[in-house]
Amino acid sequence: MEVIEREVLEALKAIQDPDLQRDIVTLGFVKNLVIKKGRVAFTIELTTPACPARDKISSQAKQVVSALPGISSVEVQMTAQVTSGAGERSPLIPKVKNTIAVASGKGGVGKSTVAANLAVALAQAGAAVGLMDTDVYGPSVPILMGAEQTPTVSGSQLIPPVQYGVKLISMAYFLPKSDAVIWRGPMLHKTIQQFLGNVEWGELDYLVMDLPPGTGDIQLSLSQTIPLTGAVIVSTPQDLAMAVASKAIVMFKKLKVPILGIVENMSSYLCPSCGHEDHIFGHGGAQTASKKLEIPFLGSIPLAPAIRETSDQGHPLALEKDSPYGIAFQEIASNMAAQVSITNFRVPNLVTIQ
Amino acid sequence: MNSDPVTINLADEGNTLSVKWKDGHRSTFLYAYLRDQCPCATCTEKSGTSQGLGAPTSDPPLPTSLPILGPSGPLKPKRAELVGHYALQIFWSDDHSTGIYTFDYLREICPCSKCASNGKSS
Repeated sequence: MEVIEREVLEALKAIQDPDLQRDIVTLGFVKNLVIKKGRVAFTIELTTPACPARDKISSQAKQVVSALPGISSVEVQMTAQVTSGAGERSPLIPKVKNTIAVASGKGGVGKSTVAANLAVALAQAGAAVGLMDTDVYGPSVPILMGAEQTPTVSGSQLIPPVQYGVKLISMAYFLPKSDAVIWRGPMLHKTIQQFLGNVEWGELDYLVMDLPPGTGDIQLSLSQTIPLTGAVIVSTPQDLAMAVASKAIVMFKKLKVPILGIVENMSSYLCPSCGHEDHIFGHGGAQTASKKLEIPFLGSIPLAPAIRETSDQGHPLALEKDSPYGIAFQEIASNMAAQVSITNFRVPNLVTIQ
Repeated sequence: MNSDPVTINLADEGNTLSVKWKDGHRSTFLYAYLRDQCPCATCTEKSGTSQGLGAPTSDPPLPTSLPILGPSGPLKPKRAELVGHYALQIFWSDDHSTGIYTFDYLREICPCSKCASNGKSS
């Protein structure tokens, strides 16, 4: 009996994308379906290479199609085409699909470490990624990324250095190490605009932006200059940190920037000698807040000397696929990428000016 | 109260800018009134009205009463741009453009009788 395309598609309809909550056929993910004498081959194109359900969808697809009568072999290829919101893209960065601000409100909670690791994890998954250090006063991205190369100039554009597959820009590149930026607001605004418009980002799936603490000039400039895809909030479990983080959440809500989720950093300390887990900053604060504020919880990262050491060495742990911390960062990046897809998939609030 | 606009019409009938909101409400702003409510620092300083205070006056001043206007004709928006996801920047015919009207603010200053009375009661 010859299997027909319709039967295969009908079988594949049983598979749901857990984030978008529709079946993969209706979503248009199934491509290049070829059936030849019982041999079936097709491609499943997901909305992000960092999809948390990637392997599950692949094996499910293989399973349901193999179960059809008259099938001798099934070949599933997984690819990804990162989506973009339906709204207008900024003319400053027309080829950047998604812009993600990593913010916290409070300083010292590990925003830059999280931003750098998220960027690296997304790049490791196969996405085209940029990392913009918008913390003009305290730039730390080049150290975290171990990027010794500096940007080069081509005409009026800056060519960003690439490290671990991530394009980087930071104020640190434009100042001697011992110097400091002592500026007022308007200068910051101009810098943000230049970091966006005068850097040759090229085609990017995700531009991750490391924000400074607070709810001030840079946050406002960024939200005004480009329509941000969303913001990720980083906090420690401490009540105090969460109280300040909620200020950042309020700011993004006022600016109508979608909140992609909360990352809990320094969630617990695992004693290297006795293995005891100590909740130095309290337990589950960010998770509780995420429930209360109805914001997705993206994951937690332990307080570990290894993270501090590798950060100072410029070797983000997201590069280590076997390290538990590397896995934690990869999971958070996957969850965040899923939230970006969900945000882009939602019916957008499109404003037309006549 | 919803403050997500769907369509913004810069040149509606009778020298007005109109906003259709997601909840179906429609706000119509006379140019003169809208300019008078300009939230930029210079305008709020000059008029002594900081944004969001009190309900709008029911009788907006005529465009010609604005000192900034010469004989070059009535004031109107030349164009407007969206600011991020949350606001509208209006470029007026006299080249004033520093006012960023957040959608929340626009909805708040809706001069229709229903919105105005809601504002007073709260």
